[in-house]
Amino acid sequence: MIAEIVTTLIFLTSLWLIFSEKLNRTIVGMAGAVLMVGLGKLLHFYDEAEAIAAIDFNTLGLLLGMMILVALLEPTGFFQFLAVWAGRFSRGRPVWLLVLLGTVTTLVSMFLDNVTTVVLIAPVTILICEILGISPIPYLMAEALLSDTGGVATLVGDPPNVLIASAAGLSFNDFLTHSLPIVLVVWLVALGLLRYLFRHELALRPPNIDAVLKLNPAESLEDWKTARRVLIVLAGAILVFFLGEALELSPAFVAMGAAAAALVWVRPNLQETLRSVEWSVLLFFTALFVMVGGLDAAGVLNRVVSTLDWLNGIPPVWFGIILLWLVAGLSAVVDNVPITIAFIPVIQGLGARGMDVHLLWWALAFGAGFGGNGTIIGSTANIVVATLSERTRTPITSKLWNKRGLPVMLATCTVASILYILAYGLVFR
Amino acid sequence: MIKNCMKRNVFSIPSTATIRQAAALVVERHIGLVPVVDPQGKLIGVVRLGDLLSLELPDFFNLLPDLDFVHDFGAVETTRPSPEELDCPVTKLVQPVMFVEETCGPLRAYALMVKHNLHDLPVVSEDGALVGIASRVDIGAAILSAWKMVEPSQP
Repeated sequence: MIAEIVTTLIFLTSLWLIFSEKLNRTIVGMAGAVLMVGLGKLLHFYDEAEAIAAIDFNTLGLLLGMMILVALLEPTGFFQFLAVWAGRFSRGRPVWLLVLLGTVTTLVSMFLDNVTTVVLIAPVTILICEILGISPIPYLMAEALLSDTGGVATLVGDPPNVLIASAAGLSFNDFLTHSLPIVLVVWLVALGLLRYLFRHELALRPPNIDAVLKLNPAESLEDWKTARRVLIVLAGAILVFFLGEALELSPAFVAMGAAAAALVWVRPNLQETLRSVEWSVLLFFTALFVMVGGLDAAGVLNRVVSTLDWLNGIPPVWFGIILLWLVAGLSAVVDNVPITIAFIPVIQGLGARGMDVHLLWWALAFGAGFGGNGTIIGSTANIVVATLSERTRTPITSKLWNKRGLPVMLATCTVASILYILAYGLVFR
Repeated sequence: MIKNCMKRNVFSIPSTATIRQAAALVVERHIGLVPVVDPQGKLIGVVRLGDLLSLELPDFFNLLPDLDFVHDFGAVETTRPSPEELDCPVTKLVQPVMFVEETCGPLRAYALMVKHNLHDLPVVSEDGALVGIASRVDIGAAILSAWKMVEPSQP
């Protein structure tokens, strides 16, 4: 009992510290993980070997492999090239610019880390808007909201999907068949809603269209040779992800294989490439695995699962809808990674007790993915565009996000719920 | 010593001045650094040309790895700071300052400028009052002038 109380306290305090931003989340995670193992040893419910066993190396390998590919692609100017191309192709027409920038950011972030994508595309977006003499707010918000939404479509699109796929044994193709069609509709709804919410800003004719026509996308691509090599490897990796199930290859193996192939082909300055890998994210994930492993070992998750026994009577689809909204609500105010990592063992526990949890995994993925759209701190991409906008004349405020982002979250979750009921209640029964 | 090569005719503004007044002084005197002093003439900081220009060229430009592909700045060229921004107290832009005392050696002064990437270095008296300002060229020329004391090498 003491172990249960202590581990719950450690986990909730860590979540609160992460949420309140009083401390860096990786520092919180590391301290929490060490505390969990220390107390586990003291009270004899958890030790180092169990902590290491709790770490999901499949998730870490997949994330690391993809991060190395992004680190190689980043200095080539490929991301700037895409944004400049979108600006040039839009010919300065606001609606086109919104659709093109939103689409490009989404397509890239379906396969590569969406935070890096937004970090690299947003400055060029601001540049294009400044040149045109219009406010960058609609475009920045569209990039964050649409890339977060689109990322739910694929296994590698966002970290919660990687976690869920690894825990539930879902393949790349499972996401293409179960998630992509729903996300496609939800994404279009989000785009349409953004178009409506920003209709006044998008109706203005920019005063300086000529200047945008003088942008030269080719000049923004610094190193085409390296970009081409990394893109070929990336395309190969996506193909192997696709065939991975038949070839019995884990996504982590494919990602690390692609990273190794790209490193051999490009032969970059390795120190510099590895500097761009987000080690703090990998460390944060590792620490969370160890913490949740502690909660599990102390019997907390089992107790949570047993208190949920009454839910067994609810049809799985409706349970899924409750879970989707619960996770979405939590993800809007807290980082969706700890939420996902905490919910995974609970769903696994429910599955072990005989509940049909197949549908719940998708509810978790949709909730974690779309929930982040709700607030300015809901996802890292939101924080990135808001922070970048502070370096312009028109910063994005929390109040503005609640007026324009929250409706997008509510609409995406509502549409996802309807499609979830239709698809999983009828089609995938 | 730096007091032998610095300019003694220093243009400074009081801490009560506005950004508009600081900009006017830069235009009038063609200077790149405006020292800000308190009523006793004590140096409290500086406003650099770049700090003033940052009101016109927003900070996000630093995030772009290069600008080769931008051939026309469009609306950025014609956007001016608002009257409210220009009438803000200059203290909003004041940076903490690196300065030396009059007795500082020229080579030390030059090394400090290189280390801190400065183009002009304010010089203060023992009691902290601003007494001069030396540019890289002032200091560099003072250092090089000592070279004429070095005898030509014998053939």
